[in-house]
Amino acid sequence: MTAVRACLPWSIAALGGAALVAAPWLMGEGALRFLSEAMLMLAMAEMWNLLAGYAGLVSMGQQVFVGLGAYGLFFASISLNVAPFWVLPLAPLLCAGVAAIVALFMFRLREAYFAIGTWVFSEIVSLLVSKTDRLGGERGVGLPTARLIDPRWLEPMTFWISAAIALAAVIGTYALLRSRVGLGLMTVRDNDMAAASIGVDVWRNRFIAFVIAAAGCGLAGAVSFTATLYVAPGFAFDPNWVVAMMIIVIIGGIGTLEGPIVGVIIYFTLREALTVVFGLSAGWYLIGLGSVAIVAILFEPDGLWPLIRGPLGGDWLSVRREPPAAARIAAAAPAGEMRSSPSGLGATPSDR
Amino acid sequence: MIWVETIVNGILYGGLYGLLGVGLALIVGVMRVVNLSHGEFIVLSAFMGVSLVGVFPWLHPLALILPVAAIAFGLGMALQAVLINRVVTRPDPFAAILLTFGVAVVMRNLMVEVYGADLRHLQAGRLAQASTGIGGLQVGVLPLLILGLSVALFTALQLLLTRTRFGRIVRATADNRDVVRLMGVNPGRVYNLVMGLSLALASVAGMLLAIRASFSPYSGVERLLVAFEVVVLGGLGTFWGAMLGGITLGVAELVGLRLDPNAGPLYAHLLFLVGVLLRPNGLFRVRT
Amino acid sequence: MTLLEVQALDAFYGDFQALFGVTLRVEAGETVALIGANGAGKTTFLKSLVGLLDQRRGEIRFAGDSIAGEPAERIARLGLSLVPEGRLLFASLNVEENLLMGALNRRLGAWNLARVYELFPVLRERRRQSPNALSGGQQHMVAIGRALMSNPKLLLCDEISLGLAPLVVDQIYESLGRIRAEGASIVLVEQDVKRAAGAADRVYCLLKGRVTLHGPARGLGLEQLSRAYFGT
Repeated sequence: MTAVRACLPWSIAALGGAALVAAPWLMGEGALRFLSEAMLMLAMAEMWNLLAGYAGLVSMGQQVFVGLGAYGLFFASISLNVAPFWVLPLAPLLCAGVAAIVALFMFRLREAYFAIGTWVFSEIVSLLVSKTDRLGGERGVGLPTARLIDPRWLEPMTFWISAAIALAAVIGTYALLRSRVGLGLMTVRDNDMAAASIGVDVWRNRFIAFVIAAAGCGLAGAVSFTATLYVAPGFAFDPNWVVAMMIIVIIGGIGTLEGPIVGVIIYFTLREALTVVFGLSAGWYLIGLGSVAIVAILFEPDGLWPLIRGPLGGDWLSVRREPPAAARIAAAAPAGEMRSSPSGLGATPSDR
Repeated sequence: MIWVETIVNGILYGGLYGLLGVGLALIVGVMRVVNLSHGEFIVLSAFMGVSLVGVFPWLHPLALILPVAAIAFGLGMALQAVLINRVVTRPDPFAAILLTFGVAVVMRNLMVEVYGADLRHLQAGRLAQASTGIGGLQVGVLPLLILGLSVALFTALQLLLTRTRFGRIVRATADNRDVVRLMGVNPGRVYNLVMGLSLALASVAGMLLAIRASFSPYSGVERLLVAFEVVVLGGLGTFWGAMLGGITLGVAELVGLRLDPNAGPLYAHLLFLVGVLLRPNGLFRVRT
Repeated sequence: MTLLEVQALDAFYGDFQALFGVTLRVEAGETVALIGANGAGKTTFLKSLVGLLDQRRGEIRFAGDSIAGEPAERIARLGLSLVPEGRLLFASLNVEENLLMGALNRRLGAWNLARVYELFPVLRERRRQSPNALSGGQQHMVAIGRALMSNPKLLLCDEISLGLAPLVVDQIYESLGRIRAEGASIVLVEQDVKRAAGAADRVYCLLKGRVTLHGPARGLGLEQLSRAYFGT
């Protein structure tokens, strides 16, 4: 019996993998494109969650990396005259490099100021690209090298790559958080002064998270725009990218790996329900989702995942650390959340 | 000569930018909350102005500033009382940002649904074109009026905070919201009033800006970024700093536009970024 | 008349219980000392009284009214005034404005700005200065003055001698005498047992959230106090 239980996650994974591979033959193009979009959005949401939920960095300018990844891919592909997917690795590399430089000055800003500072940076990049004719200016550029891909394979390849990116995002974040860097990140998130005092390099841990998140968003952005065969500053650097990331993470469950998965399901279900089923225009799904996010922040700031994880049989991808069993029994205290709130000293006089 | 005129006009519009930011500076200083829907309320005020102009076409838009500001005051109080007050006591510094960001998303898209995505403009008639000669320069009458109004409002705000009992209560609440309860003050009610004031000021700026430039439901983002840049450049929580910050941004933007007509707010943004890197505490450390 | 009556007060910080069944009373006109070591729960107790601590259980009656569930803003208007630990003056206000903040809930009584300046003349000289420019003792004076401005029936003083030179503490305690003379009752929370017992009519001692001793200030022996204070 236990042997079967132990095999269960692996068999599920294998089945899932097979389903992903077979999907292009099982589904129509529309469904495939929808799923690709959802997967890429999942990857981006995991990245935003890595930043906000684990590194304590709320970035409202994350769309800059989505756009830079796309532009990087387009121009690499065009100037080297190769099919886009060959130069895909360049997108995350470019974004990682830019992120590394940006971090050097952005990290001086704290909290809200960092959030908006990244947004200003994104606007600056967007404006610069709009003014540069060689980059297509305001009108943007198409992707002529897409001709180099067999059109029958474009959608399936996009799908497989999107699925791979989503998987990499989830598993990669999982691996990162279980590593030493991850432990460092979580201590920083919970209390950066305490973390620093025990020798955790706050800056370095945040830097790593920021660069990885940038690369992840860049990769997802590159694939996303390859699928549309067109990129323009208005779309590439659209703040709605980060709006979507935020809504997904907030509703799904910030600071957990499963949260963005739940969030993506809810996001796309609601979107399709409101636009396809009820025939409302696109703005309404944002109004709806925005309202749900507001309600979530007010009443369930930890998102949906903590509420449904019980009935769903516990954590799928827990990165919680617990002391060894003997110590746990001795403590005999209810297992606390990693996301600790500061000591509830009631109404402490100074709330700075 | 053109340069001097540009700079002068930059200063005049900078007063407007300062006004855009001072409302935000107020709540950052009092509640330590950055209201990310500030820009959307600025734009909403402009739309309210447009609606009211439709209802009262014989009234000049400038006359509508007062009623719009009054409505904005009420909206601000409601926003604070219903939503923001619930998160302002939380230790998590991001709850308020995320909440107001959600509000911004909802407002922006609601405005698109209600008003449409087209660009609008508040017509100020002949006043917008009028100019007078000052010291050999041609200066717009409207910008002068705007600067005058901005300075007046700034001064009024300053006096309110430093010379009145209400101002004392606001400053005390900003210092320590728990101790102030010991004196019978309900911090939540103080916050309601301050947020009302903040959005009322924003609405004045919004109406004035709508006379100068066209706007759409998507303009909120740009307005927010300007307001935020003004607040940070000016040094957090200082008001004359915000005015000076606004003027700096105004000059930067107009000079930039003269050099590079396609730039939009690029040079203002760049100035902000450079400024905040060199002097993270604000360019103008002016004592309130 | 019993001005303050506390029955079986429990107080919590989240899951942590800080006070266990504290029972205490203050008669009108009395000065009661509450002593105990650091962390014994003295400040927690005062916070529970004035409504700054939400998680409390038990009965608190002030001048006959039950205030156990009331928020701080409302309790402040009933005539209960706190001089908080660490003074906690408003940094953006000058000395006079700090004092005036205390007058927001003025009840009829002897204390006003002029009388407070009479009590602490040095404050009149420095009334337009920022509290940060004042010495520790002067800041304590502002904190006490601010609490007095509402003409409280009961003045709660949390560690007003902490960190001050003995001479300054003498000054402060002398002012307490004059405050008593005007009719206010006082609860003195102190770590300095001698001072507190010397100024009070009755003494309560707290240890780890429990009352370990209470009685008239005169009759307390050193050994008795020691045991109650340290728990040995």
